[in-house]
Amino acid sequence: MRILLVEDDLLLGDGIRAGLALAGYAVDWVHNGEQALAAQAGHCYDACVLDLGLPGKDGIAVLQELRRRGDLTPVLVLTARDTQADKIGGLDAGADDYLTKPFDLAELQARMRALLRRAGGQAQPVLSHRDVTLDPASKRVTCGGRDMALSAREFALLQELMRHPQHIRSRSQLEESLYAWGEETGSNTVEVYIHHLRKKLGADFIRTVRGLGYQLGEGR
Amino acid sequence: MREAATTANTAPSRLRSLRWRLLGAVCAAVLLLWLLTGWLSYTQAQHEAEELMDGNLAQTGRLLLAILHDNEDDLRELAGRLATVRGAAHDIYEPPLEFQIGRGDGTILARSENAPHLPVLGVAGYSDILRTDASWRVLNVMSDDGRFRVQVAQSIALRDRAALEVAGQTVLPLALLAPVLILLIYLSVLRALRPLDRLAGEVTARSPDNLAALPDQDVPTEALPLVDAINRLFQRVARTLDNERRFTADAAHELRTPLAALKVHTQVARLCREDVQRDHALQQIECGVDRATRLVEQLLRLARLDPLNSLPTPGAVDLRGLVEDAIEAVYQANPGAPRRITHALQTDTPAVAGDPDLLQIALRNLLDNALRYTPPQASIEVKLDDDGSALSLAVCDDGPGVPPDTLARLGERFFRGGDSSVEGSGLGLAIVTRIMALHGGRLALTNRPQGGFRAALCGLRRAAAR
Repeated sequence: MRILLVEDDLLLGDGIRAGLALAGYAVDWVHNGEQALAAQAGHCYDACVLDLGLPGKDGIAVLQELRRRGDLTPVLVLTARDTQADKIGGLDAGADDYLTKPFDLAELQARMRALLRRAGGQAQPVLSHRDVTLDPASKRVTCGGRDMALSAREFALLQELMRHPQHIRSRSQLEESLYAWGEETGSNTVEVYIHHLRKKLGADFIRTVRGLGYQLGEGR
Repeated sequence: MREAATTANTAPSRLRSLRWRLLGAVCAAVLLLWLLTGWLSYTQAQHEAEELMDGNLAQTGRLLLAILHDNEDDLRELAGRLATVRGAAHDIYEPPLEFQIGRGDGTILARSENAPHLPVLGVAGYSDILRTDASWRVLNVMSDDGRFRVQVAQSIALRDRAALEVAGQTVLPLALLAPVLILLIYLSVLRALRPLDRLAGEVTARSPDNLAALPDQDVPTEALPLVDAINRLFQRVARTLDNERRFTADAAHELRTPLAALKVHTQVARLCREDVQRDHALQQIECGVDRATRLVEQLLRLARLDPLNSLPTPGAVDLRGLVEDAIEAVYQANPGAPRRITHALQTDTPAVAGDPDLLQIALRNLLDNALRYTPPQASIEVKLDDDGSALSLAVCDDGPGVPPDTLARLGERFFRGGDSSVEGSGLGLAIVTRIMALHGGRLALTNRPQGGFRAALCGLRRAAAR
């Protein structure tokens, strides 16, 4: 899943990017409001982490502009100000959640999971299809009750497919959800990960839809 | 200690109280006037009473003469009859009539029993006979043909009592009205000063954070300047409080970001499995600690400077030494930066009055900014301007300068202009501004007409010659 991080502080931004990458997200990091709006216009992000205290166009203005454009991307707001008015202002401007600095990385990750779950329209925290379950919080995947060992990329790819079992995802869509800007992608990496997943979960767990992309196999 | 202060406060408070002073002054004036009026009425009434009684004497004397004229033979009986209309001895409204009737040669023909034994041949007219046992007011009259003489007398003691009585009756109502008058004065003063009490009550009842202006309707004209002054003070205090609150909030904000970064990097270091990633996180933690340390140092510096009203250790500062030390310190703080700061200060540069440590901090902050916010190839020069009365130490560069909207806000606490990739607390110029204010000077920030930026410590005064 691909996340846009808007943070002007180099040190904090670097930390959040590393923390979210550890959770398996592809993170694009921009430093100011204008860049954020440009990035958001060019890509479809699954979520956005937005610092309110930005130089130039501040976070609230960015948020309002996004919502004015009809952008529904879930936004988690980071703020150093913890007065009620600040929190309310952020939520009313269109934020879906907020965190006050300094915050716990585990909490940020959990809130991102919740945000993505709600945005995907699902109530259950654990995704399941056929006899495969995927727990985004513990990063555990089971198949027929047995734990499966997946690499981070394999996990991310499986999660992306399981979030919307009926959707067909193109190779480039899947690639985008796996890699942030500047990360090197091989020409056939998605195929390689699909191949690995089929070996571990069964050949018909992921279907190839010719000319369009990939989809989970039909439920039994 | 506290009790002493309280009693010291209450004792002179009556003296200082407007109400008591007003009451005291008005009452004293009214009482003085009242006493004067009383005394004047009293003497006037006494005088009138005496004249009335004198008139009475004269009338009686003439009446007796008229009676004598035709009743020369019945004088003995006349004396007897007159005795019945003599009045009472102590009644001041009907005083006893004392008389002697005699012939022109002085022989007494008749007299009342208690009349004083005086010769009837005395000079005609009024006279006071003062004796130790009894004093008399006496009138001698003589008939036109000189055959008879009449002497009438009144006891002076009785006359005095009568005069006293009359005068007393005049003054009594005045005396009775005095307390009423004083009560009225007291009530009007109380009423007139009530708006002041209301005002005081309003201020007393306020919570410390209520700095709204006092209402100025219903305030007496005399108290308006005070209310205006208080309201202006409230405004200033509110502004100061507002600044303080903003400063605290900004300081918290500025500290929270590096703290958040520290926390996140710490957790990343614990979570990640690769050594390279962990090393990077640890390195970032070190950067974060350095940054938080710098920020705290600058906050403390500003906190120490803020309450100062004057320089802690004023002295004569050698500018050339100051500039060279500051340049060296800035190079040390920015290792790896090209050595591109020059100065043109001569050895005979005059010394200025100031605090050497604070001036060094101010110059260092300006040099640090110049070094960090200009491209590496830009040159930086420290110049000394002397306009005769004051000296300015300017840090000039030939970099890109500062956009006008940013320029206006430079020096605001926590405002950071320019490139956000350059680290900084946003407090450096605020500290310089404060230091210059303590030196009676100011920080001047301008874009140079030929390009580049100029930051100057203006208004430095020459040190007194030793």
